[in-house]
Amino acid sequence: MRPTAIALLTLSLSSPALVHADTSDGSALIGQDWDTIVEMARGGEVNWFMWGGSDTINRYVSDYVGGVLMDDYGITLNRIGLTDTTEAINIVLGEKEAGVTDAGAVDMIWINGENFRTMKQAGLAWCGYTETLPNNVLIDWSNPAIANDFGVPVDGCEVPWNRAQFAFAYDTARTDSPPRSIPELLDWIRANPGQFTYPAPPDFNGAVFVRHVFYHAAGGVEGLLGDFDQARYDAAAAATWDILNEIEPFLWREGATYPTSITQLNGLFANQEVAFTFDYDPSQFGLGVQSGQYPETVMSYGLTDGTIGNTNYTIIPFNSPNKAAALVLQNVLLSAEAQLEKALPEVWGTVPGIEVDRTSAEIQTAFAGIERHPSVVDPTELAQNALPELQAGWISAIEQGWIENVGR
Amino acid sequence: MSEHLKTLLRLAPALTVIGLLFFGGLVMGLIRSVNYMPVIGLTQPNLDAYRAVLSDPDFLRSFGLTLHISLTSTILSAVLAVSAALLLRRSFAGRRLATFLFQLNLTVPHLVGAIGILYLFSQSGSFARLAHAAALIDRPAEFPALVYDPNAIGIILQYVWKEVPFIGVIVLANMQAIGQDYEAVARSLGATRWQAIRHVLLPQIWPGVLSASVIVFAFTFGAYEIPALLGASYPAALPVLAYRSYTDVDLASRPEAMAMAMVIALMSAAMILIYTRAARRRGGR
Repeated sequence: MRPTAIALLTLSLSSPALVHADTSDGSALIGQDWDTIVEMARGGEVNWFMWGGSDTINRYVSDYVGGVLMDDYGITLNRIGLTDTTEAINIVLGEKEAGVTDAGAVDMIWINGENFRTMKQAGLAWCGYTETLPNNVLIDWSNPAIANDFGVPVDGCEVPWNRAQFAFAYDTARTDSPPRSIPELLDWIRANPGQFTYPAPPDFNGAVFVRHVFYHAAGGVEGLLGDFDQARYDAAAAATWDILNEIEPFLWREGATYPTSITQLNGLFANQEVAFTFDYDPSQFGLGVQSGQYPETVMSYGLTDGTIGNTNYTIIPFNSPNKAAALVLQNVLLSAEAQLEKALPEVWGTVPGIEVDRTSAEIQTAFAGIERHPSVVDPTELAQNALPELQAGWISAIEQGWIENVGR
Repeated sequence: MSEHLKTLLRLAPALTVIGLLFFGGLVMGLIRSVNYMPVIGLTQPNLDAYRAVLSDPDFLRSFGLTLHISLTSTILSAVLAVSAALLLRRSFAGRRLATFLFQLNLTVPHLVGAIGILYLFSQSGSFARLAHAAALIDRPAEFPALVYDPNAIGIILQYVWKEVPFIGVIVLANMQAIGQDYEAVARSLGATRWQAIRHVLLPQIWPGVLSASVIVFAFTFGAYEIPALLGASYPAALPVLAYRSYTDVDLASRPEAMAMAMVIALMSAAMILIYTRAARRRGGR
């Protein structure tokens, strides 16, 4: 009995090393021949922590991406769903505190903005490997909107996955003509009490809505670009809180409470309690209609004074033990085929993070032939009035300011 | 000695798990709460986080709200549970079925119950739709705000729904063990029915009611998921506030999150103390 137990224990301890190599040492991988990396990754697994609130996205990742990884590379993809990306960062941070430098639980995180800044600041990201990926050639690093994540230089610490631009949605059966700019929206709210609200920051989408009002109050985004500036912030913030407090009595529940998540706002919209919802990823509205959450009369649209756009990325923590498998996963995600699949409206319908004109002729034709879901606003039309994201310092200050001046 | 050692050895696995996972986590939290977190450059332990938290009006409002939720839910649940137990201990046709139905939601998870409350009581929920069909209201906003409301009505509804059978089952078992003989004696000596309950039965079941209520209070004080699902955006219940602070993108707010968690743990520990005192008093009788 006892020798068996010891034998089993020894086997279970040593077996991971027998199956595939520990690739926690990132410096050994950078610049390495790609076929060697693929061989090192073969037979292993990769733990990808990502926001898990969309069934369609989850299905694309688990079934399509997981399928390619298993079939072509023998790698098992474990998708770990999160409600808040910060949870994954807390894990990596806790591991760093505990001195776990080569056996972390997290191999990859879907990330951008403030969370990226946090990881970079605390030295939690593995950097400098992007040139090693064969599909790196499809990324346009000369585009500042890709080389900077919410104003923070990427510096080879993450690779783009999707691009997104904020859009509003309304139900044509209930609302005749939606307000097409922030001033029009504010007028509409005053004229239609109780039919508009937004999720309380720090909800991601709620915070983006507040930034649109902030840009409006500041008289445009131009004066807000660059590093955080207290004086410029104070001026614009005071005006923003005035506007948001002034419209508060006209909001859902007279502004006594706000939804705490975008999911809750979507529920209120679906149940006709409010007339509008919005999302950083307009493809969600098409998916909502397909799943039956919204009626077919729901349409998404942009604003004439612009809506905010961003790029989102995947990052590998410094202590990932499966860096080779994570690299293979990133390379698959960046591949023209995977980006095409993800762009299909019935799969996800998101805007690719790669340059489509750098892909093969067939792929380009396929991209051109994609039919958008009728409820999803045309991304090219949306992109004509695109606003940049602010640097993370601004974003934190606006969220905190909202909680202190409006949320209370 | 050897028997003693054996007992300790047998307990070792359970104690290790509790010691490592529970107290280990608690100690880690305590260390972080005193601003010691070398990984983000905090190396001088101090009580700044506690000072900041305890002087923060948001924290105090959340504390007040959480106290309101716990006290109201516990008192309502206890009163309803004792009343229900008094009815269920009688013999009547269908008593078995009634007792079964009474205990049924003990097995339903809190989260499922919360979604049920949402479906029934929200302004676009089933009751609002019925009210609309009966032409009582025109728009969802006219239905009273019972969930996501600052008075936490939805949260309390959910807790009462879930905890009444919990306290009820304990009290009912208690009552059945005591039997009705003492009350019968009191009645034969001229006590009214109410007097028999008030002066004979209640003192006997009181320790049971108290210890069950303390468990409910401690649970509702520290539970996160129900206020997260059914609560208003502001003020948030204490566990929700602590979690928000823990997931704040600013790493510097971690010590404050831990300080809040410590305050919650302290409250729960105080409750356990009261509970063991009450249980001991009952044992001493």
